[in-house]
Amino acid sequence: MYRAGLIVWAAAAALVVLVALPLAFVVLQAIFPDLGQGSFAHPFGHVLETLGDPQLLGLTRNTLILGTGVVVGATLLGVPLGVLRALYRVPLASLFDVILIVPFMIPPYIATLGWIMMLQRHGYLAQIAGVDGAPFLYSVGGVVFVMSLNLFPVVYFAVSRTVEAIGSRYADVGRVFGATPLRAFARITLPLAAPGLAASLLVVFALAIEEYGTPAVLSRQSGFAVLVTAIQMRVADWPIDLPGAAILSLLLVCLSLVAFLLQMRILAGRSFVTIGGKPQADAKRALGPLALPVVLLFSLVGGLAVGVPLFAIFATALSKTLSGGLAASNFSLDHFRAIGADENGGLSALANSLTLGAASAVATGLIGAAAAYAVVRTRFRGKLLLDALTIMPSAIPGIVVAVGLILCWNQPALPATPYNTPFILLFAYSCILLPYPVRYASAAFRQIGDNLEAAARVSGASAGCTFRRILLPLILPSLVSAVLLVFAVASRELVASIIVAPVGMATVATFIWRQFEQGSVGLGMAMSSIAIVVTTAVPLIAMLVSRQRGIFG
Amino acid sequence: MLIKFLCRIAVVATTLVAATAAKADITVYSAGPANLIGALAKGFAAKSGIKANVFQGTTGQVMARIEAEANNPVVDVLISASWDPATDFDARGWLVAYLSPNAEKVPAALKSDSAVAQAVSALAISWNPSSGTPKPVDWSDLAKPAFKNLVTIPDPAQSGASFELVAGLAAESGSWKLFEDLKANGAVVAAANADALNPVLQGAKAAVFGAVDYISLAQQKAGESIEVLFPASGTVIAPRPMMILKWTKHTEEAERFVDYVLSDEGQAAVAKVYLIPARSDIGADRPTMQDIKLMPVDATVLDPKRSETLAAFAKIFGH
Repeated sequence: MYRAGLIVWAAAAALVVLVALPLAFVVLQAIFPDLGQGSFAHPFGHVLETLGDPQLLGLTRNTLILGTGVVVGATLLGVPLGVLRALYRVPLASLFDVILIVPFMIPPYIATLGWIMMLQRHGYLAQIAGVDGAPFLYSVGGVVFVMSLNLFPVVYFAVSRTVEAIGSRYADVGRVFGATPLRAFARITLPLAAPGLAASLLVVFALAIEEYGTPAVLSRQSGFAVLVTAIQMRVADWPIDLPGAAILSLLLVCLSLVAFLLQMRILAGRSFVTIGGKPQADAKRALGPLALPVVLLFSLVGGLAVGVPLFAIFATALSKTLSGGLAASNFSLDHFRAIGADENGGLSALANSLTLGAASAVATGLIGAAAAYAVVRTRFRGKLLLDALTIMPSAIPGIVVAVGLILCWNQPALPATPYNTPFILLFAYSCILLPYPVRYASAAFRQIGDNLEAAARVSGASAGCTFRRILLPLILPSLVSAVLLVFAVASRELVASIIVAPVGMATVATFIWRQFEQGSVGLGMAMSSIAIVVTTAVPLIAMLVSRQRGIFG
Repeated sequence: MLIKFLCRIAVVATTLVAATAAKADITVYSAGPANLIGALAKGFAAKSGIKANVFQGTTGQVMARIEAEANNPVVDVLISASWDPATDFDARGWLVAYLSPNAEKVPAALKSDSAVAQAVSALAISWNPSSGTPKPVDWSDLAKPAFKNLVTIPDPAQSGASFELVAGLAAESGSWKLFEDLKANGAVVAAANADALNPVLQGAKAAVFGAVDYISLAQQKAGESIEVLFPASGTVIAPRPMMILKWTKHTEEAERFVDYVLSDEGQAAVAKVYLIPARSDIGADRPTMQDIKLMPVDATVLDPKRSETLAAFAKIFGH
């Protein structure tokens, strides 16, 4: 452990500007209802009224049920696959890695729409196989199912990277001392992987309680409303209630903080160091006769998480009309042609999103690595707060983060401001998405022994040099995974994009959303499919390049 | 790599800032269809040489942005999808009084001292004729057994027009019976307009109770199997007010924009997206104000009871 250096200061400064400032304005908005007009009148005017709502208890309970359900669902899907991928030579492993990245590229509301169009009465499944899955879909179980399929790759990638770093060496020691393979895994490998697993589950929980579209569309019909539903009500149409939305968002943040503290508690006082500098053979085992079942399992999960939504998206994009259904006479490339001809500015929206996605990925990757280093490897006051800061934004609905950003950066007294320039979107994405790189990188840092850093320092390397030459390369696989996620999510973020985007600027998500709003589902789905293909290709190329350079081994 | 990306963004930013700073540009915040405001901005620039920078979203998103920006506002002209913000902003003293010379043919109900309608939309029954259900004539038909489990209702808590329809129907009959019958017949409340319409297009449902008419009309023209029916007992309309904000530094240009939207050309653009033109002398390829029977709705009575009404509705539909 070293004292706070330049890296810590840089990380802290970035987090304060990108995360703490907008959040502070959300808090101020919650307290001072007229903050937007620059007035501090009627403090706490809305707090009692909002928190006194008798429905709030039920909404909070439902939110917890949903968050926990999705965490369990994502664990059941992500952990077995991640462990298999890390410890065994799974046939077609790289292909499955690519497939399981795709759910990040599909905006959650599109995936949900895809499931609806697939399963509802007269939906695509009914047209193909005569099955009506609507009763299952429109239930709490349906929401948890769809959201778990959307989010489990967060767990899969975290677990496969962490367990891969641990390798089978430690479990082998257990085996030598007489443990059964299962016991060795449960008592040695899994506990050592706890930081990665816990970090990813925390991200899943925060994202699940923040997501609006899926519960709004699927479970409200069965009377299951969550906190985000109540937040959305307050900003859906005139009259809007920003202070009320801010207050309820802070409630969501509190839920995430409880989950964060729980995670800290679980990890506290234990060591997860598995990388000590001893050379290790990273030999993966053969699956033997289990190869086929494992491939089938990967295919099944991949098919559900990616195949089903993609089928619905492409089928709709390639149909002349939605009411025409799956028929040869209804096939048409018109929607793609309209986008190719750039009639509605779709191509510039795509370029904007890709640029912003890449910029956000680079920015959050650098800041995330520095912040994780500061939190895990150094000692300073306010460390827990800095760590907690990086989970809060993922629990706040995009619209509230956006309002916080406007309040913060549209102050007349500011000499220069990113507001009303594309930079405000970079700020917004960095704020919302920093949790990914920070969580992934800090889990990776926890696995690296102090002796490596000490050895470098003894040999005369500066703190910066040690970070760059020793630590960064060791956490790079985890960091790259996280940065790819940031790229994917930033290039499709919707709600904050609509509100804070500079006047006249469109992104992929705002373009798609505007098509849906006008009822042009086919055009929206055509744009979605183009965006999914392009955003999948980018990390794919990154992975191929990094494999050549040996980052992924 | 980072430098390169930042450079690209900086270039975009500089262009944008330069564009914003150019003389006499105006900023328009608009709810409603993106293709309409896009066409209006383009036509306006061609006609007047003044650039209109556009921000488009739902009424909620546009208002959230204005509320958050109020300390340092940039919007010159606001177009909302419901009339309430016009009344409220006027009471706050945020609006410039302006009556466009082109507003002469706009009916008195669609203009005030500080706001004038750009267009009007009406709520209707959007019905899928290939759903195997009998063609509905009135709201109550959707509570009949033929429509068992086949009706969606846009959430009145999330749309001003839907609220007026629900509140108006309940006030007119003096009871919630229609909605209780709908619920008993398996009608479901959808999150927003698009969520209500899509299942009807695919055939999972047969009709939307209170759909925004112009979206369905545009889909019908695009070849979808959908019909827009205006109920015999009457419906509600949502005029879309245009307002000039008092902090504008370009009053003159903002007024020219309002004039343009109300010109023959501007109103033709409105008709092209199947909205009802605000001017009564402009025709449209769809039923207009004269063809649609309206329900008597008194907003001054209904609006104060908003939360009560929404609670009663939510209670019936169990959420």
